[in-house]
Amino acid sequence: MSKNTLKICIGTPCHLMGAADLLESVENLNHKLREKIELKTSHCIDNCCEKAPVAEFNGKVYQDLNPEKLDKIIRENIR
Amino acid sequence: MSNNISEVVKLKRRLYIELLKLVKAGNLTSEISSLSERMITKDTPRYRCCEFKERAIFDERIKAVLGFNIAENKDRGLEELAASFPRQQKISSVVEVIDMACDSCPIDKYIVTDACRNCVAHKCVNACPVNAIVIIQNKAYIDQEKCVECGKCARACSYNAILENQRPCSRACELDAISSDSNRQAKIDRDKCVSCGSCIAACPFGAITAVSDLIEVAVNLFAEESKLAVMLAPSFLGQFGHQQSAAKVKYALKKIGFELVREVAAGAEITAAAEAEELTEKIEANETLFSSCCPAFKSMVENEFEELSALISSTDSPMAVTAAEIKSKNPRFKTVFVGPCTAKKAEALKDKNVDYVLTFAELLALFTASNINLAQITKEEKFEDAGELGRQFAYAGGLQKSLQEMVAADFESKQVDGLGKLKKELLLIKADKHKYNFLEGMACTGGCVGGPFSMINQNLAKKLVKEFAKVD
Repeated sequence: MSKNTLKICIGTPCHLMGAADLLESVENLNHKLREKIELKTSHCIDNCCEKAPVAEFNGKVYQDLNPEKLDKIIRENIR
Repeated sequence: MSNNISEVVKLKRRLYIELLKLVKAGNLTSEISSLSERMITKDTPRYRCCEFKERAIFDERIKAVLGFNIAENKDRGLEELAASFPRQQKISSVVEVIDMACDSCPIDKYIVTDACRNCVAHKCVNACPVNAIVIIQNKAYIDQEKCVECGKCARACSYNAILENQRPCSRACELDAISSDSNRQAKIDRDKCVSCGSCIAACPFGAITAVSDLIEVAVNLFAEESKLAVMLAPSFLGQFGHQQSAAKVKYALKKIGFELVREVAAGAEITAAAEAEELTEKIEANETLFSSCCPAFKSMVENEFEELSALISSTDSPMAVTAAEIKSKNPRFKTVFVGPCTAKKAEALKDKNVDYVLTFAELLALFTASNINLAQITKEEKFEDAGELGRQFAYAGGLQKSLQEMVAADFESKQVDGLGKLKKELLLIKADKHKYNFLEGMACTGGCVGGPFSMINQNLAKKLVKEFAKVD
């Protein structure tokens, strides 16, 4: 059962700055962690394209991400 | 393998966007000199001694994005260069070292680290075949004058105290085209370099770059001076964003102002047909033919195996065929190839029909600077340029598959990807130890989907190309 929601922005500015890497890293999470997360994509989160790539985890927006940062955010905030 | 985007890559892409905004606003010349000051402040992350050096490096980077060779334009200011569009100066080489950014990484291949305990066994000293290791001040010391870089000492040490230390750029270069100059900075041997782009992707300092056509394309596009035709490499599927369909990409390209959008796969079909004819003749004569679509492979054969260069197919590459077709129908159009490849930039310098070459990232920056977000576009325009025989050129083995279908005669063929592996294969062919009529050579591992400027995982890219090839 997924209790956590991860929304990754796939808009063009975020894609240019590595959204594909973020999506890939989520698919590579270990199974136990992955099944707790519902993955969604978004066309734009908060209009903060200057700080791409952007994702939202359980309602909070995180900017200027990379796979390592996202992994930490997920591990620290997972319910 | 994922194409993790480093801070260096991000900085470069932000620079694309800022420069494009200046072009769009019409103040490239007046604002360009202050761009590095605006983008690099005291508070932005710094990797060098001070923000002034950071800016000086950035200015060199800007020259390459503007489309000028850095070394040749050392003494020309950014304003002067920005005012000189359209560029009159020809690009002399595609891949360039930004000297100031090169950190002069150590060139000693084996070094002893502090983990050395000056043990009794001294396996390193014993292992060294040239007596290059002595013990000085309680620690093993490698005499670099004597060292033959065999690595036996590193393997022998019980503490892993000896480190193999190779510069990332020269490790990435499978053709040994990178050496060091007297300042220990990276230097590219032009007789060996095939512009494959591996070193650009490998350098953690971002000190190697490709001279870009981006600004010239933008000047043409935004000023509506000439009509532009964009040619998308067969590997373009999925490169413009998660779930962004090919048809949507086509619509978006028209919207941003490209007059014509064409799949290079269309040219690939013509290439395949011509190559099939050539191959049929070769099979009858029991000779071997090399594919000609990958310019880096082709250059390597010409540079290092001159005696085998006659075996390269004389058929034009898909890019060349596609460009020629566009120019024959619309002589006034300017053609822009878009792909994951640096070697195509070098190929284009010799092809009068190909005016510009961009990477996927450069085109995406053009969308971003124009405030076009593909994810928010709903309209589409379908591609109907090509079928499977052309579209599957994007991945290693695709061309081979097309030829197996198109050539009536039975023949053996082989597919090899990666420059290192190809070099070995060519040595075998030189020694006449091969038993096939056709060699498909792709410089990048996985083929074009594994190119240095691909935006997505190559397995995913291959899957998307296959789906697209089957659909229409």
